[in-house]
Amino acid sequence: MNSLVEWLTDLQLEQGHLIRPIIVGTLISLVCSVVGCFIVLRRMSFLADAIAHAMLAGVIGGYLIMKIVFGREAHLVGMLAGAILAGILTVALIGFITRVSRIKQDTAIGIMYTGIFGLGALAVSIKSIGGYVHIDITHYIIGNVLAVTNEELWLLAVVSSLVLCSVILFFRPLQITSFDPVMAASIGIPVLAVDYLLTACTSLVVVSGVRVAGVILVVALIITPAASAYLLTDRLNRMVLLSAFIGILGYWLGFGLTIAIGSSPGPTIVVTMTLIFLLILLLAPRYGILADWIRRSSLVPQEVMEDVLGAIVRSTGNVMAIPQVLQAVTAPNRRVQRAIRLLARRNLLECEADQVRLTETGQAEATRLVRAHRLWETYLAQTGEASERIHEKAHQLEHISDQQTVDYLDDKLGHPITDPHGTIIPVDSVQTSGQQDVKASMLRRGNRARIEQILPAANRLGLSVGSEITVLPRSVDGQTWNLKTDRGTAIALNHTEADALIVRPIPTDEDEGDAIPASDVS
Amino acid sequence: MIREQPTTESAISINHLTVSYGPVPALLDVTVDIPKGKLVGIIGPNGSGKSTLIKAMLGFVKPDLGEVRIFGREAAAAKGMVAYVPQRGAVDWDFPITVREVATMGRYGHRRWWQDMSRRDLQIADQALAKVRMTEFASRQIGQLSGGQQQRVFLARALAQDAEILLLDEPFSGVDAATENAILEVLRETRQQGRTLCVVHHDLSTAAEYFDYLILLKQRMFGFGTPEQILEPQLLCDVYEGNMKVFAELSGTRSAGDRSP
Repeated sequence: MNSLVEWLTDLQLEQGHLIRPIIVGTLISLVCSVVGCFIVLRRMSFLADAIAHAMLAGVIGGYLIMKIVFGREAHLVGMLAGAILAGILTVALIGFITRVSRIKQDTAIGIMYTGIFGLGALAVSIKSIGGYVHIDITHYIIGNVLAVTNEELWLLAVVSSLVLCSVILFFRPLQITSFDPVMAASIGIPVLAVDYLLTACTSLVVVSGVRVAGVILVVALIITPAASAYLLTDRLNRMVLLSAFIGILGYWLGFGLTIAIGSSPGPTIVVTMTLIFLLILLLAPRYGILADWIRRSSLVPQEVMEDVLGAIVRSTGNVMAIPQVLQAVTAPNRRVQRAIRLLARRNLLECEADQVRLTETGQAEATRLVRAHRLWETYLAQTGEASERIHEKAHQLEHISDQQTVDYLDDKLGHPITDPHGTIIPVDSVQTSGQQDVKASMLRRGNRARIEQILPAANRLGLSVGSEITVLPRSVDGQTWNLKTDRGTAIALNHTEADALIVRPIPTDEDEGDAIPASDVS
Repeated sequence: MIREQPTTESAISINHLTVSYGPVPALLDVTVDIPKGKLVGIIGPNGSGKSTLIKAMLGFVKPDLGEVRIFGREAAAAKGMVAYVPQRGAVDWDFPITVREVATMGRYGHRRWWQDMSRRDLQIADQALAKVRMTEFASRQIGQLSGGQQQRVFLARALAQDAEILLLDEPFSGVDAATENAILEVLRETRQQGRTLCVVHHDLSTAAEYFDYLILLKQRMFGFGTPEQILEPQLLCDVYEGNMKVFAELSGTRSAGDRSP
């Protein structure tokens, strides 16, 4: 205990000039990074930068008024008030310009802050005025936290507590007006007043932060910790706490570095914070680059999984040795193996020793893909695609296999039974399972179904709702459907009529859809 | 113009409302009385002022002329009586906020700014989430939801507000059929409790089935009445300027009866 007091006393004696900047800097980093959260979320970063630049003119204006009118030299409160006024004036002018003209906000900000900053710089450069101003302008331009006075420390303490209290007290209004101003207004929150409150807080933290980093760099103290925190969490209250923590940490590390290498504090601190940001950008658990990369590389593309299913069902039916699967699917082996594991987890296939077997659902899914593939092949043949490229193209296109697309192709092609190579196109096993009504045109030879609805186009056929039909082989062109009614009469339908007949398939024991010989349409 | 004289108490009454953003009015001389306890659709072509009408009912835009009254009170003074579900495009989905926090936001209007949310408030928010079947996603960040789920979260927020009037800006856009039915179910339930709902809607083919009354809008009021009165080819032709696609959709869907539950 005794040694601690001794150590502190020694520290006070030897390093006294460092304690003040540490306290001041900690306070400033804290408030800057807290207010920064709302600035980042409202996309006001550029506006904060503008306020920072404009305050130079405000400081000089405040200095001159206090000196000329009241004869006070370098009056702190006067300069502070001038800076805040300049900040608010800048925001008001930017709002005015965007309202009355077609100039967009980013341009208006650019014009106004350079203009007001220039006005300040112009004022001090005139000899007669510059002679009046006995402040070191470079302190304001790049900041110097080492030169902070006791008077400033107290002023900053008051400013910081004011800002922190406002943010804590008005946390909910600040949150809701940032997130949904229309709703905020509808429940009676004075949105405009909250906006002004935030602008005032921004001006205050900018004015404070200038002591550390100067007008050019101060915006980094505000937005860099907040942006870092934004990458780490999904909750605003945690974001504010994290941002404060990162801001203070960045300041301490940067300040330590300043002492160690004897550099200028402002730039060193800002560079440190930027490095922290980059580190977080790289490593953040959810929104970081690395996490994103890992997520993407462990993601098995849907295509690979579909190719695995397709390869198995195309081989011998539903069993295939794993080495063969690896060979059949054009993708890195590790990725294919991961696809197999994922498919097994989804119960689409079962792994037994070194071979895989399709489950019932897996088989249905694979059949669906084969159906899509062969319909695409038929479509490509019809659109005049060169026959040697058909298979490869259809292989890419089969991944577009959503119900609507496949139904469209099937209908457009006249519900073909075979693809251009003469192989059977499987039926849509879900639609023809008897669970739902389908168009009669989707049925194949041997299917039985009950008529559920007859649309006008099929009126002339003389069929009646409720009667059963059996599907006969289609006629030579494949575009004439032949049906047998339950009374034994055979009826021929064209595509439109077959579409207009809505039926409920009656499931049969054996799946005849796949068993139709290709000669059916020859 | 078709006007139905409401027999019941009117929830929202709009008189000669004119709103402009520059030389062209977004709304011109809109007058309508929306009866209490009804599900009302607001239809009209793109840019016809539907969203502006919603914002005027919220008291968020200042009318150049005329007024909106909510149960006899001026819209700007009727804070908290009107809940609002924004258009999906109007929300920042990267905002650091969870599903439960959005629902809890519905209770903000019931507490003064210095008061904490009570346990009862959190309960109401959770009940609202349960009602739209989003409980299991309560701690998700809102950007990590599907379009339909996102829509349901904001619906939950509106329900948690416990407001007399709910305004919804295109709640059915970009959601799948199942979600559309789920949302409609909740809307009908809310109407059953005597609440009034106004829904901006763009799908004419479902308008007749979904709503008790329709407002047909294109800057001006082109009609207010039952769907049978409003979905008149001649009237629609005037408003949509003979955009035949609209009518093809309308008649096509009606005859096939795809949408009927």
